Amino acid sequence: MPTNVRVKPVSGVLVMTEVIMNGKLPPPVRRSDGVIVPFNKDLIVKSLLKETQLVKELYNERPLTEEEARMIADEVQDEILGMRLKMLSGPLIREIVNVKLLEHGFAKQRNVYTRVGMPLYEVYKIDNSDGYESRENANLQPNPETFHKKKADFLSKESYLLMIPSHIADAHLRGDIHLHDLEYWGTRPFCQDWDLRYFFHYGLMPDGTGTHTSVAGPAKHAEVAILHAAKVLGAAQTNFAGGQGFFNFTVFMAPYLKDFDSKKLHQTAQMFLYEMTQLYVARGGQPVFSSIQIESGVPKVWQDAPVVSHGKKWTDLRYGDLEDTVHAFAVALLEEYLKGDAMGKMFNFPKPEVVQRARYWDDKAFEDVMLKAAELSAKFGSTYYDNMIPAYRGGEDGVSCFQCCAYSFSEDGKSENFQKKVMFEDGAHFSMGGMQVVTVNLPRVAYKSGGDESRLMEVLKSTMDMAKEALMLKKTTIRRQFERGLIPFASQRPRGAPPAVDIDNLSLTIGFVGMNELVQHMTGYEIHEDPSAQKLALKVLIEMDKIRKSYSEETGEKFSIARTPAESAAQRFAVADLIHYPKFARELVKGDLEKGLSLLNDTKDIPVYYSNGAHVNVAAQLPLDQRLSIEQRFFPILKGGDIFHVWLGEANPDPEALMKLNMRLAKQSWVGYWSHTKDITVCRDCGYVGGGLGSNCPVCGSRSVKNYSRITGYYQDVSSWNAAKRQELKDRYRVRLS
Amino acid sequence: MSVGCGNRSIGSGGRGRGGGGDSGGGVCEDEVYAPEITYLSLCDYPGEPAIVIFFSGCNYRCGYCQNWKIREQERPHLARIDRIERILEGGKMVTACKVTGGEPLLQLGALMRIARKAKSLGYKFGIDTNGSFPERLSAMLPMLDLVSIDVKTALNEPEYTKVTGVDHPMVSRVVESIRAALASCAFVDLRMVVIPGVNDRLEIARSIGEDLGRLGYREKASAGGACFTLAEFVPENAGSREYAAMRNPSVDELVKLAEALQLPNVRITHRALGHCVSMEKIRS
Repeated sequence: MPTNVRVKPVSGVLVMTEVIMNGKLPPPVRRSDGVIVPFNKDLIVKSLLKETQLVKELYNERPLTEEEARMIADEVQDEILGMRLKMLSGPLIREIVNVKLLEHGFAKQRNVYTRVGMPLYEVYKIDNSDGYESRENANLQPNPETFHKKKADFLSKESYLLMIPSHIADAHLRGDIHLHDLEYWGTRPFCQDWDLRYFFHYGLMPDGTGTHTSVAGPAKHAEVAILHAAKVLGAAQTNFAGGQGFFNFTVFMAPYLKDFDSKKLHQTAQMFLYEMTQLYVARGGQPVFSSIQIESGVPKVWQDAPVVSHGKKWTDLRYGDLEDTVHAFAVALLEEYLKGDAMGKMFNFPKPEVVQRARYWDDKAFEDVMLKAAELSAKFGSTYYDNMIPAYRGGEDGVSCFQCCAYSFSEDGKSENFQKKVMFEDGAHFSMGGMQVVTVNLPRVAYKSGGDESRLMEVLKSTMDMAKEALMLKKTTIRRQFERGLIPFASQRPRGAPPAVDIDNLSLTIGFVGMNELVQHMTGYEIHEDPSAQKLALKVLIEMDKIRKSYSEETGEKFSIARTPAESAAQRFAVADLIHYPKFARELVKGDLEKGLSLLNDTKDIPVYYSNGAHVNVAAQLPLDQRLSIEQRFFPILKGGDIFHVWLGEANPDPEALMKLNMRLAKQSWVGYWSHTKDITVCRDCGYVGGGLGSNCPVCGSRSVKNYSRITGYYQDVSSWNAAKRQELKDRYRVRLS
Repeated sequence: MSVGCGNRSIGSGGRGRGGGGDSGGGVCEDEVYAPEITYLSLCDYPGEPAIVIFFSGCNYRCGYCQNWKIREQERPHLARIDRIERILEGGKMVTACKVTGGEPLLQLGALMRIARKAKSLGYKFGIDTNGSFPERLSAMLPMLDLVSIDVKTALNEPEYTKVTGVDHPMVSRVVESIRAALASCAFVDLRMVVIPGVNDRLEIARSIGEDLGRLGYREKASAGGACFTLAEFVPENAGSREYAAMRNPSVDELVKLAEALQLPNVRITHRALGHCVSMEKIRS
């Protein structure tokens, strides 16, 4: 405060205040590092020269010259003098400098010189669990960690939008494309499916270096192995933006469990489920977004592979010898999922990915796993089915998994080093995951094409080119961070082992939203309404795949095409198009348009959306097998991931009937990944768990109930969903279970 | 109300009187009152994903009925039978077909056609019935893999009148249907919806248990050929205002009734339990 300054017997300050009164010098400056100093024009020059160097680094353009910097600083001083202020602050001077930079046409220099942050009002709202993206991610519960994360997210997103080339940033902001998890753009790769053998051989360093955490040797006991597995995913989550999982989980755990009776197997399984749903520490206070692949037996590829556990590679034990244990552990895990937690509520993580193979269906011995999986679907809807039977999965001779948000990763059995990895030669292991996902707004591609099909393919290509450029940029950025040891859990090399993550093997995924609306704009029909619509959808997908291939060949990177979960992107694109292409978008967006438009001036969280990926409109009154016959055709192309949803609604399905349906889906369709979504009500008073989205409990009558359903690729409390997803939930056309 | 092409109106004609020798077909041979088809149901046919066909029209007026909207046969309900046959041919994801209603046996001719088609396609085939048409049921039995018969309450005229809402429910005919079904090769599911204050007295359960014992239920159930299901009444779905204001039974109440039946193979369905749960499982 000026008065404080005046009474402070510091000579310099006193002199300054006197000068202010003369109006010849600007007032003193409150700096954000907590001191008050005299205004010094040279500091502006110095900071301009230093900070505009980033222009060269980020955009490869020139920084300010000293002369330009001095001119700006002079003008800033004049401006301040004219304002007759009593006090100045660092941020205020910076804002004035920015205005001067813009006035002189130094837009790029302004980009890097600017401050990022948020209005005080928004900060206040965040602390009160409202405002900025309070429903962007349903996994984030309002809590102190979350509020902190929201602020950090805001700052990060704003920064990265300035740091990446402006045409990409603009494409994102306009809604041509969506850069997922933008807050982690410069620091984290996307997701990873880990090879547990690595940690069972080399032990665990949660910080990746062993300097900030203790270093554990390889697990020797089952309990420790389970805890290590949980901690691997917890530690990994600090290095990655998205889901963390274990492929082949039951197989790689088996060596620790081989002498266990059923009771101990159940105890071990239960420990893991609780660890994964109670490590409430990741990314702003949420459980790790996790998944485990559950094999009922030992896949062909692993039958003869040497067991790796207890810190060694066994010479006299192969995974094929452990088949009974793998089988029993799969059953124990599913039975623990079925029990639920102490309240009887489902474990929503780690997502159980139950593998489907012809052998598991043909050999009666595995029927118990298939039935438990169906029971779990019938009770909680939590099972995911990872179907290796269709040939395009390559799951019999290779390694493949679906994980987290239904992205799919695989390694071809004929690929280089495949056998070395299977045999764990010199620590060679599998590292499957995603570097980044960029989603393309397909309806907008259609709008821009003016309804012309050849033009459509051109716009598609140019939009995908933008996505590709963004993905390559991300790759370069993250590779540099990785090499500098700034993603330490991923780049760890315990005892000279190869790095935990093969950073060059991560997929660059191009996702898409709104194929249904694209074809609707072009043909006048939704995907399910006419064969011409389906034909066009397929044609567009094939074209996308062709473009993808050309990217891979050109760059040597693993590009893939996937349906993105689009928890917020399906809404964001629809909203952006209502703003930029209102004439077309009003015809096509799904949900409650009237309500959405009435809210649009106040919020962007409105109940409209585009159909996800190449999915049929969720509200289409279509028998399941007809929807299946349409959507299954897209799976072989969408090797980067897709999901088939069976919306069960509220009733209690018969597990045996559901199992027989699963058998048909597994053996007679091309669907690589599906789940049954059951809407669930949980009573917080008596612990009742049952079907439907009720507002009171049918057992004790309490109104203190929570509703759960599958938002996109995972289950979460419906009240935390965004407006578009809540609308979609209302619109879903369910398998009628009378 | 239905408008026939020469046939009498099934909805009114059938009410309370059965209508023994009638061929029971729809208004004309190619059509049937079937307002709704569920292409895939996972809880109507035990253990099988099934196509479920709803026939409209019923001779009872039960207040708890959840399908009360199709109690009458109305013109818009008419569907071509060959269309239903095409749907059956296309059902790739299902293994069974079930006809429910309404009362399916009111339209026997159409039911037989659909049953023949379903069987020829390799589906398992079953029906739901209220049991008041024993002769028609007997005619169907050789084609049925499953027959689900309602046991609305104690098998006597006054109690049945109370639940079914008609003056002459003719319980003797229901008893006849149960006897015939238990003597057949079909799997028999006897179902009772438990409505607190209406049919939930223990003596009702005891008398049902005794009657079913005499009709041969025990033998068939012990051989795995029959079960008795006690189902939760769901007020939200009830057709009559009076029933909608009632409460649902608790699991405990259902368990007590199940014990009072003193029968083998008793199952319970309740929203709090998930799908059908056998008493053996509950006891353990």
